[in-house]
Amino acid sequence: MSNNIILQVEDLHTAFFTRKAVIRAVDGVSFFVREGETLGIVGESGCGKTVTGLSLMRLLPEPSGRIIGGKIIFDGRNLVELDKQQMRAYRGKMISMILQDPMTSLNPVYTIGDQISESVKLHQGLPDDMVEKEVISALRLLKIPAPEQRLNDYPFQLSGGMRQRVVGAIAMSCHPRLLIADEPTTALDATIQAQYIALFKDIQQKTNVGIIFITHDFGVVANMCQRVAVMYAGKIVETAPTSVIFKAPRHPYTAALINSVPRLDRSKDDRLDSIEGQPPSMANLPPGCRFAPRCTVVQDICRKQEPPEVKVGDEHSVSCWRVN
Amino acid sequence: MADTLLEGRDLVKHYPVTKGLLQRTIGWVRAIDGVSFTVERGKTLSLVGESGAGKTTTAKAVLLQEKLTSGSIFFEGQDITKWPQSKLKTDYRPRVQAVQQNPWSSMNPRMRVRDIVAEPLVVNTKQTKQQNRNRVLELLDQVGIAAEGADRYPHEFSGGQRQRIAVARALALNPSLVVLDEPVSALDVSIRAQIMNLLKDLQAKYNLSYMVIAHNLATVRYMSHTVAIMYLGQIVEYGDTEELFNNPLHPYTKALISASMLVLPEDEDRQIKQIILTGEMPSPLNPPLGCRFHTRCSEAQDICSQDIPEKHAVGQQHWVKCHHFD
Repeated sequence: MSNNIILQVEDLHTAFFTRKAVIRAVDGVSFFVREGETLGIVGESGCGKTVTGLSLMRLLPEPSGRIIGGKIIFDGRNLVELDKQQMRAYRGKMISMILQDPMTSLNPVYTIGDQISESVKLHQGLPDDMVEKEVISALRLLKIPAPEQRLNDYPFQLSGGMRQRVVGAIAMSCHPRLLIADEPTTALDATIQAQYIALFKDIQQKTNVGIIFITHDFGVVANMCQRVAVMYAGKIVETAPTSVIFKAPRHPYTAALINSVPRLDRSKDDRLDSIEGQPPSMANLPPGCRFAPRCTVVQDICRKQEPPEVKVGDEHSVSCWRVN
Repeated sequence: MADTLLEGRDLVKHYPVTKGLLQRTIGWVRAIDGVSFTVERGKTLSLVGESGAGKTTTAKAVLLQEKLTSGSIFFEGQDITKWPQSKLKTDYRPRVQAVQQNPWSSMNPRMRVRDIVAEPLVVNTKQTKQQNRNRVLELLDQVGIAAEGADRYPHEFSGGQRQRIAVARALALNPSLVVLDEPVSALDVSIRAQIMNLLKDLQAKYNLSYMVIAHNLATVRYMSHTVAIMYLGQIVEYGDTEELFNNPLHPYTKALISASMLVLPEDEDRQIKQIILTGEMPSPLNPPLGCRFHTRCSEAQDICSQDIPEKHAVGQQHWVKCHHFD
């Protein structure tokens, strides 16, 4: 892992404009990713993780979804300012994405060879025989057995784990510098999930790709990421190195999320801490700290004013009034 | 003395694979192949394994949603596979209820919560509407849904709340056994804990038995008293939860446990070694000879591909099917 920052997101705001309301799905998010490093973005459904990922790829469902503020600095350029044509040179080539469900992200009527070669042809402009070589090397990178024979297979002929590897091969086919993986293991079985994570650690070592790993599972974070950003209701409430966040989480939401995961190394009679209630509706946010209605250590000020972000350690910052 | 509520003995379910116009049978999918287990009163049995291991088929057999190829199910000591449909309808089905995995598809979106929860009462009892109405409110209260919720539709609730409603429906007839098929895997991590705590509370209150199907071992450990690890249609290890987690014997169990362990970055240098299985589960259409796990087992020897391992009892209520389990 080097110190070379490849992506810097500053105060990103993404909103959806509906007839009834403006929904600020991502509301002032800042983070960075280094070369060869994995950043985990963790949170419950609806907290803005996926929208953050889609914003980076500029794949929001326009015109209702738009980036309304902030910067996405990748390789010295602000991606927010690029027009559609310019963005195409980045998407799939420099930055690529893996989606959650391999059943729906592959086209059922094309062979996997066709689907992987699509981006290779588009971005690398290679002659046909070279394209096939690139495709096979992408399949090899993802450790798909007998890649030459798999080229002509259709997605339905592969198992769920193999399909997700094909999706990974598409993402890695143009040697991207940044990979956004949106819950890539959620649809997989436990042992296959472990295989997939080990595979990506290996790929990262070989290619030095920076990875943003979006997940709701702290177990996956522990296995895969060097740093974590915890999101709640469109904001990052805590970022820290993985080892720090498990030992000493500072935000009550982070602590509650970690404690609500049943762990094999704890006695079974411990009652699980659950977070009562549900995340707020993004169209109707509470004033002050967004976690206040569910927080067990809430104070008066939490309900009135939003907490500022405070640096509490090396690459560790928290937005909580308790920390001051 | 353990009080057995339900016992499955050598359950077998083979599905025919047919081909062509005449639907000739060209093979059999051995979904479950000789599965035996017991569910004790007031206790939880978990079936664990990957997709295709036969967990859901076993649950369907218990719920009488699938007709078994062979084997028998004993409920309170009586072989229900010999009962006529009429007796099953009055004496078995109402007492064995189910909660499905996905709370988005297990409820009719056009019915109000009140009617969803009341449906088992309407079908199976002769209570008056007023009695049903009161019972529904009582049930919703048990699972932590406010009374106003009764007149709403499922889409107005979050996933966790819907799963609570599904639990209320399952409890409507005061069942003895509830089959929970992946009860929390469709929910957010923070909500899972709420539902698991609720299920445990209800179990203690009504002395319910649960049969839980899950693939996440940590969830299983928290919920269950007994665990059955399934692989390709068979139970490969079976035992008391704590015993099995502290002393896993089958290589597959060890790999599963390792896959669900939380390994912190600093642990990597230490002795905690993750076992990562290679390959995938073979097809149940044509299971491997000998031990069915040998194609993925790191400890496999010649004997494993030839002989089917016997059941080895190790300690109380803990057995394993492996040639070299120590």
